[in-house]
Amino acid sequence: MGLRRYLASKTGWYLGALVVAVVLNFLLPRLIPGNPVDVIVSGLGQGGLSSEAQRQIYEQFMKEFGLDQPMWNQFVTYITSIFQGNLGKSFAFYPTPVTDLIAQSLPFTLVLQIPAILLGWIIGNVLGAVAAYKGGAWDKSVFTTSLVFNSMPYYCLSIILLYVLAVMLGWFPPGGAYSLGNSPEWSMAFFTDALQYWWLPFISLLLINIGGQAVGMRSMAIYELGSDYVNYSRSLGIGDAKMTTYIFRNAMLPQITGLALSIGTMVGGALITELVFSYPGMGTLLFNAIAANDYPVVQAVTLIITVAVLVANYMVEVLYGFIDPRIRASKSGEK
Amino acid sequence: MTKSLMRANNLTAVYAADSGQDVPAVDNVTLELPEGQILGLAGESGCGKTTLGTALAMIANPPLYVVAGTLEIDGNEINLSTLPKNANQVHRPYRGETVSLLPQGAMNAISPTLRIRDLVVDVMRAHNGSVTKADALDRASDRLKMLEMPTRVLDSYAHQLSGGMKQRMVTVISTLLNPALLIADEPTSALDVSSQKALIEMLLAMVEAKIMRGVIFITHDLPVLSMVTDRLAIMYAGKVVETGRTEDLVNNARHPYTAALLSSVLDPTEDTRTKHVLGIPGSPPNLGNPPSGCRFHPRCKFAMDVCSTTEPKMLSEGDHDFACWWAKEHPRETIPMEVTHA
Repeated sequence: MGLRRYLASKTGWYLGALVVAVVLNFLLPRLIPGNPVDVIVSGLGQGGLSSEAQRQIYEQFMKEFGLDQPMWNQFVTYITSIFQGNLGKSFAFYPTPVTDLIAQSLPFTLVLQIPAILLGWIIGNVLGAVAAYKGGAWDKSVFTTSLVFNSMPYYCLSIILLYVLAVMLGWFPPGGAYSLGNSPEWSMAFFTDALQYWWLPFISLLLINIGGQAVGMRSMAIYELGSDYVNYSRSLGIGDAKMTTYIFRNAMLPQITGLALSIGTMVGGALITELVFSYPGMGTLLFNAIAANDYPVVQAVTLIITVAVLVANYMVEVLYGFIDPRIRASKSGEK
Repeated sequence: MTKSLMRANNLTAVYAADSGQDVPAVDNVTLELPEGQILGLAGESGCGKTTLGTALAMIANPPLYVVAGTLEIDGNEINLSTLPKNANQVHRPYRGETVSLLPQGAMNAISPTLRIRDLVVDVMRAHNGSVTKADALDRASDRLKMLEMPTRVLDSYAHQLSGGMKQRMVTVISTLLNPALLIADEPTSALDVSSQKALIEMLLAMVEAKIMRGVIFITHDLPVLSMVTDRLAIMYAGKVVETGRTEDLVNNARHPYTAALLSSVLDPTEDTRTKHVLGIPGSPPNLGNPPSGCRFHPRCKFAMDVCSTTEPKMLSEGDHDFACWWAKEHPRETIPMEVTHA
């Protein structure tokens, strides 16, 4: 009974959050000073167009993008198009539809992030748990190394790796996602080529993820190892293997949140890593769009991130309801 | 004296300090418990009562090491030392089945993500791999019915139970396998008075029903001890200074520390309002560097020259053992209780 009420209340909250997020997503880019059409038209102006021609183009663009409409109308159009799967056309790459731009970038980001996050999570948690359990020199070396990777700014680690592995040793190409003259397609030749470019950003993300997870897991496991229930289970003759499952179940809780959050924010791309390695994922797309005041692209990317984060969080809350009875009880007011 | 249930011989347990020096918290203690009786273990905080309980329950964890001692129980002689590499494997089968622990404050004794019934099954299976889930749960619910507790608690998580209920549930789990010896380490200290009473009545009923054949009850709550125990052992600075039948100790203390400890509690009588508790002057010694001779001599009103140089041997007067030079020179004389009238 508690579970059903818990799920219903969670679903309600997340739908509400989604509505607020979509409204903000619509408003925020429009509150940034600077009209994108001004930017486009002034760019044309440098080509020596007459001011009359510029005015005509300006008006046509305003109409085309619906910017001459009142805010309220723009919002209705925006919502309707979202439901039709239409995210508008890019200003900067007019008239390319935003969905095409995303379709080009998203696969690169996913291919990079999913393995880095999952592998980093698994390796990091195992390392952290082992460090906590073994203690001593094991713990010291794992903990220190993890802390270094976890605390180091992304760009710092990325640049060091870039310099050592690509420039000094020349093992990997220093940037991009595939060789010049190649283009994304479903062929073996493209994949082997792209794999070369994939390793470097992948390794840098993996190391950072391992570091973060290992630090978190280690402290959770140490805390759990010292808790009363471990001692009591021991006094009842329960074996080490069984006890490890108790410890893991409790130590895992915050780690699952971490995993869900990174999966949620994943679609936003690893902004800095992608920029350092000139990797054409969602991070690069978003960065360029912001620089160009490309509203539709910015909005589309933030919308996708918002939805992904909300969905991931929702899944965590549902999962928690099953794993941890205390959360279920306190959230549904059952106590 | 009736048949002995257990005997702990020459038990020494040390805490390994960072300085590299070992601090003996339990120093060469020998303790005996007759079949079917409750032995109270009392003393100030830090005297080693809980450490002794931990060593007997075979769950000493670094930095605590049991360096010597054997436990004779149930026809077994168990080496309690945790120094051998395989100590954990040797001790595990005895835990819960031969010697079980009822821990201090059961609040966090059960993993928060585990239903009570899962713990019950795990405990039974830890000692007999072939027990089915249903059998394990049957046994637990029979036990609960016998103790007049609701069987629905088996379906609960720890956080759904009240403090008193949790402590009683933990007691049921600790005694599920009918351990020969139950070590109850301050089981009542976190409970309100009515829950304390319920728990103690339950423990007494369990001894009566022969669920366990002996209990070591560790507490500094002296009124509780004198109410439930058959025998008392008083510890001071890692040593047992006096043991005997409860009424002998209460009425005829032979060690000045026992006398001082007992006089620090007032029995509610007509003139209680006019009495003052003096307490014991000074504070417990540093176990890393205990006083020479009798460890209590710096705080003892009856101290003589010999007390500061030579450690007193255990003496017996019938079924009453004590280690005190003053008592040796004053046979069968009760130590005067230190209560003054205002």
